Amino acid sequence: MSDRLPKVEIFFLLILSAVLIFVIPILNSAVPTDHPFYISNYLVNLLGQYFCLAIVAVSLDFLWGYTGLLSLGQMLFFSLGGYAFGMHLMLMIGRLGQYKSDLPDFMVFLGYNKLPDFWVPFYSFWFAAAAALWVPGLLAFLFGWLAFRSRIRGVYFSILTQALTYAACLLFFRNELSMGGNNGFTDFKFILGKPINSPDTQRALYVASALSLILTYLLLRTLTLTKFGKVQRAIRDSENRVLFSGYAAANYKLFAFTLAAVISGLAGALYVPQVGIINPSQMEPSRSLEAVVWVAVGGRGTLYGPVIGAVGVNALRSWATISLPAYWPILLGSLFILVVLFAPRGIAGFLEFLAGKVLTASRPILPNTQIFTNSSLPKTSSPNPSGQESQKT
Amino acid sequence: MAQLIINSFLKLFSYFAQFNYYFLSHRSLVLSSLLLFVLVFQLYASSDDQLRQSSARSAILKAILAPEEKQPELVEALAQNLHPVLGPILEAWQKGDLFILDLNGKLTPVIRLPDSQLQLVENAQSLPIAQLPENARPLETTGKLRRAMRIILDQLALADPSPEIRENAVLKLGMRQNLQSLPILERLKEQEEHPKVKIAILDAISLINLNSPDTTTKIKALSHFEARAPIFARDSIQKILADSSISPAVRDAANKAMKAIERRIFWTDFFGTVFRGISLGSVLLVVAIGLAITFGLMGIINMAHGEIMIIGGYTVFVVQCLFGTGLALAPFGFSFNLPGLGLDPASNLYQAYFLISLPIAFLISAIVGLILERGIIQFLYQRPLETLLATWGISLILQQLFRLIFGPANIPVTAPAWLTGSYVVEGVIMNYNRIFVIFAAFVILVATWLLLARTPLGLLIRAVIQDRSTAACMGVSTGKVNSLTFAFGSGLAGVAGALLALLGNIGPSTGQTYIVDAFMVVVLGGVGNLAGTVLSALGIGTLDQILQISLRNPVIGKVLVLVGIILFLQWKPSGLFTIRSRSLDEG
Repeated sequence: MSDRLPKVEIFFLLILSAVLIFVIPILNSAVPTDHPFYISNYLVNLLGQYFCLAIVAVSLDFLWGYTGLLSLGQMLFFSLGGYAFGMHLMLMIGRLGQYKSDLPDFMVFLGYNKLPDFWVPFYSFWFAAAAALWVPGLLAFLFGWLAFRSRIRGVYFSILTQALTYAACLLFFRNELSMGGNNGFTDFKFILGKPINSPDTQRALYVASALSLILTYLLLRTLTLTKFGKVQRAIRDSENRVLFSGYAAANYKLFAFTLAAVISGLAGALYVPQVGIINPSQMEPSRSLEAVVWVAVGGRGTLYGPVIGAVGVNALRSWATISLPAYWPILLGSLFILVVLFAPRGIAGFLEFLAGKVLTASRPILPNTQIFTNSSLPKTSSPNPSGQESQKT
Repeated sequence: MAQLIINSFLKLFSYFAQFNYYFLSHRSLVLSSLLLFVLVFQLYASSDDQLRQSSARSAILKAILAPEEKQPELVEALAQNLHPVLGPILEAWQKGDLFILDLNGKLTPVIRLPDSQLQLVENAQSLPIAQLPENARPLETTGKLRRAMRIILDQLALADPSPEIRENAVLKLGMRQNLQSLPILERLKEQEEHPKVKIAILDAISLINLNSPDTTTKIKALSHFEARAPIFARDSIQKILADSSISPAVRDAANKAMKAIERRIFWTDFFGTVFRGISLGSVLLVVAIGLAITFGLMGIINMAHGEIMIIGGYTVFVVQCLFGTGLALAPFGFSFNLPGLGLDPASNLYQAYFLISLPIAFLISAIVGLILERGIIQFLYQRPLETLLATWGISLILQQLFRLIFGPANIPVTAPAWLTGSYVVEGVIMNYNRIFVIFAAFVILVATWLLLARTPLGLLIRAVIQDRSTAACMGVSTGKVNSLTFAFGSGLAGVAGALLALLGNIGPSTGQTYIVDAFMVVVLGGVGNLAGTVLSALGIGTLDQILQISLRNPVIGKVLVLVGIILFLQWKPSGLFTIRSRSLDEG
C-alpha cells in the first residue's frame, strides 16, 4: 500500500544526519577554539533550541499542511512538555537554591511547607520524561475528542484551540497552580546528575534535539506515505467526501492532533534544559501564532519546509531582537502578510520550483489555493462571478 | 478588564472598612467635645451671622498665632465660635496648607486653597502675590492639636447646611455608640427637617441604644434595624451576638435583625453582580458586534479586530489632547507637537470632547478597516484560515506602530466630569460610565439592527450572508458589499475602543486581552445574527461575574467560562442561533 521514501531523500537525510549529529558536535568539542571551523558552545546551544522549535513546526505542519487542522495552540503542548520536565529539573536543584531548602525556591517564597503531592513523582527522571509526552497528549486527546466529535472545523477549531491556550496561559500565570506563576521555572542545576550548563551536557542535549528532529521527520514523513496519510490529505481536501466514503474522519483527526501534541511536548522537554527557563509567556497565544509563521514561511505540506522556516525565522528573530528591537514585530508581521499573500507555498515552494521535477515527482500534492475551492460540490461548481467563495476550510 | 472589575469591587468593600476604622479609633475624644457642643449649639443658632463669622475668624487667628502648647486649648475653644468658615481653614491647617507670612512686618496667616491660590485667614481676601515665598513653611501640628481640630470639624459637620454632610456626621456619631451623645441626637431629631438626615438620626440613636443597659431599649433598637436593615449596623449587632450574657429575647431580636441585614447584603451583592455582569456583557457586545458582522458575512476571522478597536481608544485620547493643551508625539524619531485648542477643562465644550470623539473614532477605524480590506483581505476570501494569519500579521504591525507613536505605556484618558461618579440605589453602586456603556451598547445594537433590517445595504448584506453565490448571480456586487461591511464592522470596533477608554486602560496590547473573549462571543452566539451575539455577550458577561464572585478568583472564573463554552458547543456545534441553509458546510 504505502509508497516508499524516494532514494534521493534518504540520501539527503543521511548526509544531513551525519552533519548535524556527528560533524557539528565534533567541530565544537575536538577542534581548537581559534580554528576557523570551530563551532562555539553558544552556537551549538542556539542550534539545539532552534531544532526543538523546528520539531514543533514539523508537528504543526503535520496538522495544518496535511490534515487541514490549523492549531493555534501548538506552543501550549510544547510548554506543557517543558513544564513537566522543568518540574523534574526544579527538584534536581535540591538544596542549592537561594533558600537552601528541599523545596523549589518559589514554593519557599510563597510559604509552602511541603511539596504538593502531584510534584512528588517528578523526582523520577523517567516519570517526568514520560509526563512531558502524555500530559500534552492527554489534553490534546480530550480536547480533540470533544471538538471533532461535534464536528468543529476550520476557523472554529482554530479559535477554540486559541481559547484553550489563552485559558491555560491565564492559569499558569497564577501562583495557586504551584507552577511558579509569572516567573515559571529557572536556575536549573543538574540533569541526570550532570551540571546542566556544562558544554558537554549542552552538547548532548543538542545531539538529542537534532536526533529527535530527524526521527520526528522520518516518522511523520513515513506516516504521510501510508494509507493513513492518504486519508489524512483527503480530509484536508474534502472532509465531507471522506465522511461519505465511510471513513471516521474524526478518529483520523484525533490521532493526528494527539500525535502532534505528544511530539510538541517532547520538543518542549528538550528545549527547557537548553534555554534554562520555562514560564507562561511561552504559552501566550501569540507564541503559537508565531509557530504558524514558521510553517507558513517554510512552506506547509512539505514537512522539511517548516524546519527551514523555524530555524530561519528564529535566526532572524535572534538577530533582529538585538539589532532592530523596535521593528522586529513589524518585520515579523510583514513577513507573515507577504508570505500569505504572495508565497503560499513558502520557501519550500520556491526550492521545489528550482529543483524542478527531480524532487516533485514523488511529493504529496501540495496545498495551494485550488484545494480550497472544492470543484466537485454542486454549490461551488458554478463559477462565482466575483471570484469569491464563502467556503471555509 | 478583570482588573477593572476587581477594583470596583474593592471600592465597595473598602467603603465600609474605612468608616469603621476612622470612628473606632477616636472614640475617646467624644465625651469632652459633646458637652461643649450642647452649649455652643444654642449660641450658634441665635446670633447674627456676620458677627459670628468675624468672631470665629478672630478666634482662629488667635489660635494660629498662639504658642504651640496653647494651640490645642484655643482650638477646642473654637467650639464657642462655631461657624462654617472655620472648616476650610482647619482642613488647610491639617493638610499643611496653612502658612504664616511676614507682610510688612505683620505676621499674617494665609491658607493655600486647592487651586493653589492664597487666602488671608483674617478676612478671606485673596492675596495679590501668586506664589508663596520660598522659605514659607506650613504651620506644624501636634497630635493633641489634630485631635482638637477633628472635634471642631465634627461639630461643624453636624451643623453643616448640606444634608449629606449632616447625615454622615450623624452616622459617625452613632457609630461611636456613646450613650452620652443621645441627648444631642434627640435634640437634633427635633430640629432636623430633611427626611434623609432624620432617618440617619434615628439610625444613630438606635445604634447607640444597642449599647444601652436597658433590655427593652436594646430590643427596640434591634427591631428598628430589623425593619431598616442598614449594612453599617452589622458589626455592632455581631458584637451583641458574640456576647454570651445577653438575654434570650435580645438574642432573638438580634438574630432577626442580623438575618434582615444579611438578606439585604445578599440582594445588594446580587444586583451589584448582575449590574456588573450586564456592564461587562455590553462591553463584550460592543467589541464582538463588529466581529460578528464581518465574520458572519465573510467567514473570516479578523485577528486585527482588537487593534482596530484600540485605534478608537487612541482617537479619544488624541481628541482629548487637542481640546486641551495639545499633544507631543515622537514617532520614528521625528518629534512634533499638535497644538491644542486650550479649552478650559471645566467648560461645556471641553466636557463634550468624548461625545465628539465617538463619531471620529468610528470614521478613522472604518477607514483603516477599508484600507485593510482593499489592500489585503480581499485577496484572501477563498482562504479563510490564511486570512486569520494575515490579519494576525496586521495586528502585530499595528501594535508596534502604536508603541512607536504613542509609547509603550498606557495612555491616560480622563473620563469627562459628567461620567465620573456613581448612582447608588439601595447600596448597589452603579458607575455613570458603566451605565453610559450599557446605554451606548444598546444604541449601537439598535443602529446595527436598523442598518441590517431597514436599509438597502442591509438587504444586500443579508443576501450575501445567506447565499453568496445566489446573491452574486442576482447581480449583487459582493466585493463592494464586503468592503462596506468590513468598514462598518471596523467602525463599530473603533466605537468599542472609545468606550473602553472610559472604563479602563488603553495601551498598545490592550486589544489582545479582548480578542479571545470577543471570538468566544461570536462562536457561541452563532454566525451572522445579532440576537445570538447579544445573548451570548450578556450571558458570558454575567456568568463571568457570578463565577468570579462566587469563586473569589477572576482567573478560574474565566477559565471555567472558556471550558463551559467548549462543552456548550458539544450540544450546539454552530452556536446558539444559526441561519438555516441547505448548503453543505465544507470544512
